[in-house]
Amino acid sequence: MNTSLSEYPSSSVNLIVNEQAHQLSVRDHWTLLDVLRDVLELTGSKRGCDRGECGSCTVLLDGVPVYSCQILALQSQGKTVITIEGLSQNGVMTALQQAFLDNDGGQCGYCTPGFVISSLALLRDNPNPTDKEICDALSGNICRCNAYGRIIESVRSASGRN
Amino acid sequence: MPGALEMSESLIGRSVNRHHFPEKLTGDAKYSADLIMPGMLHAAILRSPHPHANILSIDTSKAEKLAGVKAVITPFNIPSGRLAVDLFILDTRVRFVGDEVAAVAAVDPDIARKAIDLLDVRYEILPFILDPDEALSKDAIKIHENGNLAIPEPINLERGDIEKGLIEADEIFEDSYYIPAHSAAALEPRAALAYWDNGHLTIWKSTRGVHVERISLSNALKIPTENIRIVGPFLGGGFGNKDETRLGAISAVLAQKADRPVRLEYSREEEFVAGRTRHASYIDLKIGFKLDGTITAIHGVATLNSGAYQASTPQMSRRTGQCMLYLYSCPNVKYESYPAYTNCPTAGSYRALGAPQGHFALETLMDRVAEYLGIDPVEFRKKNHVKIEGQPGRRTSPDDQIIDSQPVEGGVPFSSNELGQCLVKGAEAFDWVNRRKSNGSNDESKKYGSGVAIMIYRGGPGYPTGAEVRVNKSGEITVICGLMDVGEGMTTVLSQMCAEVLGVEYADVSTLFGDTESTPDAPITSGSTATFSAGTAVIRASTIIKDSLLALAGTALESEISDLVLENGYISVKTDPDRRMTVKEVASLMTNDYISSISTVDPGSTEYIVNSFGAHFVNVEVDTYTGNVNILKYVAAHDSGVIINPQLSLNQVEGGISQMLGLALSEELVTDRNTGVTLNGSYLEHKCPTILDYPEIQVIFADSVDPVGPMGAKALGEVPSVGVGAAVANAVYDAIGIRFNSLPISPDKIIRALYT
Ligand code: FES
Ligand code: FES
Repeated sequence: MNTSLSEYPSSSVNLIVNEQAHQLSVRDHWTLLDVLRDVLELTGSKRGCDRGECGSCTVLLDGVPVYSCQILALQSQGKTVITIEGLSQNGVMTALQQAFLDNDGGQCGYCTPGFVISSLALLRDNPNPTDKEICDALSGNICRCNAYGRIIESVRSASGRN
Repeated sequence: MPGALEMSESLIGRSVNRHHFPEKLTGDAKYSADLIMPGMLHAAILRSPHPHANILSIDTSKAEKLAGVKAVITPFNIPSGRLAVDLFILDTRVRFVGDEVAAVAAVDPDIARKAIDLLDVRYEILPFILDPDEALSKDAIKIHENGNLAIPEPINLERGDIEKGLIEADEIFEDSYYIPAHSAAALEPRAALAYWDNGHLTIWKSTRGVHVERISLSNALKIPTENIRIVGPFLGGGFGNKDETRLGAISAVLAQKADRPVRLEYSREEEFVAGRTRHASYIDLKIGFKLDGTITAIHGVATLNSGAYQASTPQMSRRTGQCMLYLYSCPNVKYESYPAYTNCPTAGSYRALGAPQGHFALETLMDRVAEYLGIDPVEFRKKNHVKIEGQPGRRTSPDDQIIDSQPVEGGVPFSSNELGQCLVKGAEAFDWVNRRKSNGSNDESKKYGSGVAIMIYRGGPGYPTGAEVRVNKSGEITVICGLMDVGEGMTTVLSQMCAEVLGVEYADVSTLFGDTESTPDAPITSGSTATFSAGTAVIRASTIIKDSLLALAGTALESEISDLVLENGYISVKTDPDRRMTVKEVASLMTNDYISSISTVDPGSTEYIVNSFGAHFVNVEVDTYTGNVNILKYVAAHDSGVIINPQLSLNQVEGGISQMLGLALSEELVTDRNTGVTLNGSYLEHKCPTILDYPEIQVIFADSVDPVGPMGAKALGEVPSVGVGAAVANAVYDAIGIRFNSLPISPDKIIRALYT
């Protein structure tokens, strides 16, 4: 994205994304998703709706899963962001990602980063969720391929119950 | 299921992991909107606020003066090329609220959107029509120059003599049905990145068919196909729906004008309104039957809302009627279809085209017939569904002609037909005989019921499809195919087939798909033909490669080719298995850099119809206080021939059912009667199912080997989605005694029906 800022009010923001510190000039109306995708070129977080309905843009902001399209970049000042790109270490997927792979927890994959991030937060706070707890935690993410059955199975298997 | 997957020697029937899923899980997979090029501009589209108008003029001066704007295109300043019979790159007539008027490319999205606001358009507002019947009336204003019938001639298909069949009937049941428009709403909004280099155009875009789009763009832009390359990156959900819009053409013309790469992304609302919807359909259906339960006549008439443009209306109009013509054994059938242009958002291709609409009408009216006759709905279907010998009557097509997978004529058998098995196994798994009418509690507000529906869908021949299999000197094997993997896992299945023929591991095969530059010609990924058509081509090409490898090995091992076997990655001498070489070693002997085989097939059979089948059983709880329908149990039994990859197939069936439960219970794209404005172009208001709506679904695959299908397989992509609405409607009737003739069966409809 062109960051010549003359026409639009803009500010400087500091944030840590996937353990890397950034100082960025951003237009005040840009969302965190705008900055992740268009400034930092981290395109794993998807713009499924840009209006807080689908969850494909979900990231962890100071550990809390949020719709990055509903947070202004300025609101993430001084905060820590984890995106889907920040999960695997040295090309090795986490056990959660592996569980999605082994259980076919997706089809086209567009919703997948959002579901993985939401599941990550769920399992961190509740390592042994019931099916109801899984569905409640993932109810803010839409999968239009409706691969829900396999997604539930993936999270079940990652939680160690099966 | 996973974990319990059997490991067989054969790759067929093995649940290998979905191809390319690791990239999707780590965020590395690039979809069209993720692509970035140096100097890339961002585009935005001005859309019509009027349902029907002529554009008299567009003043672009203010927009062009805005700093950062690099190109503005309008119908007045670009060549008027045709993308389809009725669709220009841009047009001086707009035909629905949201139709494209003009477009801008600028250095960033903020400026592009601002420039759109600066365009000054003068419209001549025209009367508009939203209803297809009204559109087809004599005095209706013409939405396109040739009138409002969206195909050249109405469809009129008959087998036997419908009048005779109705006279022979003891009783005739008839009713009218309505299925509204709803949106495919793929999670990825359409996006494209266009780039010109020396008169050569490259577009990366959301697409279901790169080769077909290249032809359409070549016609519209009036440049030869050789000068166009279309690439399909990962696709964020296709459902047959992408693309049929002006997306590619607009980005191409903007990029040409600006002489810079241009990326165009639809917003979520644009995707709902200006993507493509399912056709809103009115169906009048008549069934004549005898008191012994024999069906003597089926007559369906469909009036379809094509919206502003034709898109897939010809195919859809035809497919709506196939179940009426073919699902039940019946000598006298007739199907007529009248698709009309209106000023609604454009309907196009969306999962199974008209089949869900046709099945909804047919399978609910059949349920009434069974009830009237006092026959159990499952038994009634067992007696009357079409059997392997096909329909009565005489074959009318020439003997040497490949049988269409949507025939009308009788006298042609199916290659395989395990619909009977689906009914038996499904009913058993569901425990149909002991189906519950209550949950045992005294809660008066909850009612319980069960319903069944059967389904038929084309399962075989599509358009000619090419596939190439290549092995290079280092032994790397690649399957190359022009089709797109629209998310359903086709590349996985084709790799499995290739690996099976070549006796190597699934992981040894890589794929190259969806790029006009490096893949042989192929149609769009549609009509559930990918496994069948591309599968047949891949197997043929792989077999030829296998023969070449055996020939090379024969020389090296000093053996007759007929004495060699290729399995588990080795070519060995049958009688002396220690004399063996790996496929890699054999490949290194080739004199060229690689060997390759391209096979283009027009698959199918001159003797058989290839169709897929299914039977669905559903148990519902209807809350008579809230009108809410809760799916308690869903059993889906399918005949799709040999299942190449059980896990992917399971996902496909579950997903298809869950998606169509949206149409059955909650989804509808609503156009305001007074203004033509789409009222609910968002996920929240269109009400796509979420994970909380996902019911327990049990999937059963019939034992079935199709004799003409590739490795015995038939199509699976769409058939699970066609009978869902009918099965649910029949279950709701069983619960509360009310027949709903329109979808979705939403809480408000239930409450109104119960209390008024
Ligand atoms: S893109 Fe943020 S919720 Fe849909
Ligand atoms: S896998 Fe396609 S949207 Fe979920």
